[in-house]
Amino acid sequence: MNRRGFLRAGCGCSLGTLPLFAAGQEPWQAPARFVRPDTASDEGGIWAAMDREETKLRRSPFNLRDPQLQPYVQDIACRLGGEHCPDIRVYLVRTPYFNASMAPNGMMQVWSGLMLRVDNEAQLAAVLGHEVGHYLERHSIERLRAAKSSSAIGQFAGMFGVVGLLGAMGLVAGMYAYSRDNERDADRIGALLMNRAGFDAGEAAKVWGNLMLEVNARPNGSARNPLFATHPASEEREDTLKELAASLKGGVTNEDAWQQKTAPHRRQWLQEEVKRGQHEESIAFLTRASTRTQGKADYLWARGEVYRLRAGSGDLDSAVKDFQAAVALGGEPPEAHRGLGLIYRSTERAADARASFERYLQLAPDSADAPMIKNYIQELSV
Amino acid sequence: MKTLLGLLLVVLLAACTTVATKKVDSGDNTIGDRLQVNIEGPWNQITAPGMGPAYIWTMEGLPVDQLRIYSGIKDGEVIHDTRNSNLKSFTFRSNMQSDELVSMFEGMLTRDGSTFQVTKVEPSVFGGGKGVRFEYAMVTKEDSLPLTGVGYAAVNNSELFALLYNAPRLGFFPRHQARVEQIARSAKIIATPVPAKN
Repeated sequence: MNRRGFLRAGCGCSLGTLPLFAAGQEPWQAPARFVRPDTASDEGGIWAAMDREETKLRRSPFNLRDPQLQPYVQDIACRLGGEHCPDIRVYLVRTPYFNASMAPNGMMQVWSGLMLRVDNEAQLAAVLGHEVGHYLERHSIERLRAAKSSSAIGQFAGMFGVVGLLGAMGLVAGMYAYSRDNERDADRIGALLMNRAGFDAGEAAKVWGNLMLEVNARPNGSARNPLFATHPASEEREDTLKELAASLKGGVTNEDAWQQKTAPHRRQWLQEEVKRGQHEESIAFLTRASTRTQGKADYLWARGEVYRLRAGSGDLDSAVKDFQAAVALGGEPPEAHRGLGLIYRSTERAADARASFERYLQLAPDSADAPMIKNYIQELSV
Repeated sequence: MKTLLGLLLVVLLAACTTVATKKVDSGDNTIGDRLQVNIEGPWNQITAPGMGPAYIWTMEGLPVDQLRIYSGIKDGEVIHDTRNSNLKSFTFRSNMQSDELVSMFEGMLTRDGSTFQVTKVEPSVFGGGKGVRFEYAMVTKEDSLPLTGVGYAAVNNSELFALLYNAPRLGFFPRHQARVEQIARSAKIIATPVPAKN
């Protein structure tokens, strides 16, 4: 689910009035598998445009072709999709933002920033289930038909392409955003699909709560991001999802399995998270993630690096503490020593800086910045 | 909807009309009033509103290849186009170490979600003083194009001087790298004129 989708639903849900099904209403049933529309129809045109985007995505270097992780996430999506499983094609996309989307032709994107953020399989299933809900209810087709513009198909298809919702896509995303009713429906269906697939539906509210931690950490609140600016975040969303979960008991979270499967990518994704330069959001996320049972040294290193790069009042001290804690845990990224060395160098602790740099080069002798670090050691030895 | 799209088109067309290209001839050229470089063979300088504080040159045309030259950026100055205020901004600080300068440029080049990998960082001379030279590989988010780049940066009297060049990995970067390296080697920082005493 994209952030807009996840947030919008919160705007439309009123506290205490969201049972899974209204009184007297038939339980929701998934529609039969969709037949490929006639190419001469408007929907056929949409599918063709989506197919072109999918071809680009398949070839894109942003497509994370992990033979272990891709089938694993595909399997989660399949369990949620039920009989629609053969029509769902999952692509893992290397982009450090919280986002997932599902196009009308069955192409589903899951971005690395989302995979880094979810704590377990159930949280991922909450996001994917919501997207499958939009797909099953054909909400995107509904929105595009409402636009009544032939040029809209290209713009709409672009939203599902590899560029996604970043930057300039905000305006286009706003034009085709799902309605509040759509989001409410997708929430209900997503929770139901989670429950049917054996996941703990209570994790859906946690995804929302965790995301709000990051939003609230921003210096300007939600105003800086157009996805939040037009649709202010609502605390009600979390409560609504909790209420939904209360009627759907049981299910697993599978935290260990999720953390193990994503462990090979963790440092790369953390490096990309640090590079986003969204310091406050990153610190909020990494503070939460550093309580996870696996990868603690990696999260501490990443938070230390964010502090070091932000370099505000007290940040360098916080960075040193995090780097030292990562080292104390063992199995730390070599960059923890590099970070310590750079801070010690800037604070004129020459001997400590030299020792940290030497340790860094021992652990990462072929690092890209080895020539620069060696030069620092030379300077510190004079 | 149609009105909105129409307005968007008008804005885009208006923006197009204000882009200007100027030929930069071989020989000594002063960038801004603080950096002098010597170039072999002409370049094209592109100017347009909101492009940020860098001087933008290209051999092949934008966005194929791009040489950004920074001349005397002050402490606290944003180093890029600021038209999209929804994206994170990157600001020069005069106390930045070499690795922080590289991180700043990395952040700037990945604002749109492009990937960036530093492949080499080494001490260097730029503008006549101590600086840093770095090489990088990128994949653009917009069109998944693999690029290769090289950058030089130095801080002199609390001002940033830098040069970054990137172009498609195959063909264009190797074709122009030597020319760019020669420009970097020729760079000289011009001392700030001392105000005349009355």
